[in-house]
Amino acid sequence: MKKNRNVGIIGVGQSVYSSHREEVNQPEMIHEAVVAALKHAGITMADVDCVVHGNMELFEMVHQPDLWHTLGSGTLGKESLRVTTGGTTGATLVGVADYLVSSGLHDIVLAVGFEKLQEGHTTGGITNMADPLWARQLQTGALTGMTAADVINEFGEERAKKASMKYRIIMDKHAMKNKHAHRRLGLEFDQADDLAKSSPALVGELRMIHMCSQSDGACAMIFASEEKAKALCKQPAWVKDHITVHREESFCIFGDAPYMTSHRYAALTLFERNGIKNPRKEIDMFEMYDPSSWWGLDWLREFLLLEGDAHLKMVENDEITIDGSFPVNPSGGVTASNPIGATAMVRVAEAALQIMGDAGDHQVKKKVNQALASGFGGTMWTVLVLLTREAP
Amino acid sequence: MTTAKDNCFTVEGKLALPYQYFAGSTGSRFLISLRDEKKIKGLECKKCKKVFVPPRSTCEVCFEDISQNWVEVKNSGVVTGFTIVRYEEPHQPVKPPYILGLIKLDGADTPITHIIKGVPLTKMKTGLKVQAVFAKNTTATILDIDHFKPMAEKPKMEMGYTYDELEIGMSASFTKTISETDVYLFAGISGDFNPMHLNEEFAKRTPFGTRIAHGALPQSLIAPVLGMKLPGLGTVALEITVRFKAPTYFGDTITAVGEVVEKLEKRRWVRMALRWTNQKDELVAEGTALVMPPVPLPE
Repeated sequence: MKKNRNVGIIGVGQSVYSSHREEVNQPEMIHEAVVAALKHAGITMADVDCVVHGNMELFEMVHQPDLWHTLGSGTLGKESLRVTTGGTTGATLVGVADYLVSSGLHDIVLAVGFEKLQEGHTTGGITNMADPLWARQLQTGALTGMTAADVINEFGEERAKKASMKYRIIMDKHAMKNKHAHRRLGLEFDQADDLAKSSPALVGELRMIHMCSQSDGACAMIFASEEKAKALCKQPAWVKDHITVHREESFCIFGDAPYMTSHRYAALTLFERNGIKNPRKEIDMFEMYDPSSWWGLDWLREFLLLEGDAHLKMVENDEITIDGSFPVNPSGGVTASNPIGATAMVRVAEAALQIMGDAGDHQVKKKVNQALASGFGGTMWTVLVLLTREAP
Repeated sequence: MTTAKDNCFTVEGKLALPYQYFAGSTGSRFLISLRDEKKIKGLECKKCKKVFVPPRSTCEVCFEDISQNWVEVKNSGVVTGFTIVRYEEPHQPVKPPYILGLIKLDGADTPITHIIKGVPLTKMKTGLKVQAVFAKNTTATILDIDHFKPMAEKPKMEMGYTYDELEIGMSASFTKTISETDVYLFAGISGDFNPMHLNEEFAKRTPFGTRIAHGALPQSLIAPVLGMKLPGLGTVALEITVRFKAPTYFGDTITAVGEVVEKLEKRRWVRMALRWTNQKDELVAEGTALVMPPVPLPE
């Protein structure tokens, strides 16, 4: 990607993530994240030139929520726009903020993602995206057991289930270190076999324990031009590149014919244009939008351009743990916290915190020079963001 | 390009979209005050000197947390805008048609939406002063205020023309047909049982040839003019002089007219010319009156 000027992430703010944030309304919840991000960046609203807001249609049951949210987002009197690209919204916000700063239009941009799932109708929103005549009856919402079935088919029931549960428990162990995380269950590896049987089945072998939470929460990030970022922040996380790949609005549209996933296509393109030949070596950590531990497991292969069972081995050999050679989701990821409109942004925010060295208890031990974050939405939509320690 | 619509199907569908909404600590505290204290509270931005009702926990101008600055506002306010809801759907709090108004409560700087009752739809206007009517049974919702109703207006004292409002040439009249009953009642009121008013056989022998009304009876018709019309309510009559010119027979229709002829600046009194005529335009009587017009009552 050709950039007019470099853009650095200089502030990250997150609200607490929880299943029900009854104590705050939407702008109040956003206010928590915005105030935290301003504090992290050491600036005030007066320094912000533009606010980018994102939401998921129908998920929070407010049309044009950015207008009401001005009370909490601080947008009064500022340039502003709202974007909505489904589950990828949070990562798209990062892309838009990057465009606004790198283009030279604005020096400091605040991006706000949020979710109040309990107030809206997620399944109504997701069902609505399919072709109303041919596919709407097929489109059911966020739950799908297909990936579990595919992984079991390919690698056998025992190995597949074990790997999926191990992935899940690693994520929970990470979440236990993250004070913002919604589900912190305190799982141990010896519970894996029990949980794989006792957790309520949702669809096929997709069980409750594998699936992401429904969370309320907000995330805010502050993007600054290279000049401002260097003046305001000791170690910004630089936005090196990002890519968006969207495709059809329903699963199975190709039948059983093999096809390249949007994840693999995005990764191939992004790595190629940034000269990344061995992502597992050249990228130091990965914050993945993993809606379930089946998807998280399966998608490692897609994002890291792996073949065969290499992705299973990464899990089996503890490579993806916070102390492993390729840490994945030290924050606990999406199975721990899923404030959907913010979730994809939280991936980038957490990756940025790792580079900035501000991740706190879930900071990975090794130096993070290059980090990858993914957003997921729709049926197979992808945003990939590449962050670096050195200004590109 | 063809726009023919033959053989194009419309497929009907339906999605149910149930939802809930979290009032938050701030919104809930407002509802608790309504429920438990029947008090309407707002949040104040001390920097902007602005009181928000409904409450908001941040001021969008200062971006300050104001969530602890609770103040009580009045249960009364003024309607700053309204609409009349005429369509009907299952989720409405009351049956249409009804008025939804924006009400800026006394002590608040922002208006709150609520139902207004007790005003004819055609008479509804902005600027109306209203007051909250609390619900008998609480639901811990905004409907703990059942509705707003117009402020009970203090009955306004009617008053005639004051000295300053009266102009020379202003006139008013009262007309009435004098019946036999009037004469007999007047005889009872005054004690004047003179047979020329009551005894037809006696009256036949008088110069009038028939019974006539007491002179003071048509004269008294000036009282409603002075006391109720000009100057009107609140007038004190100081002096009335009359010269009788013609008799009033039973069945005559008498018109009494008063006209302002002089304003006595020093005393702030008014002199009026009086005339009584009958249905044939004959002058029945004429005279003058000196009156003290009403002075404005203290509030």
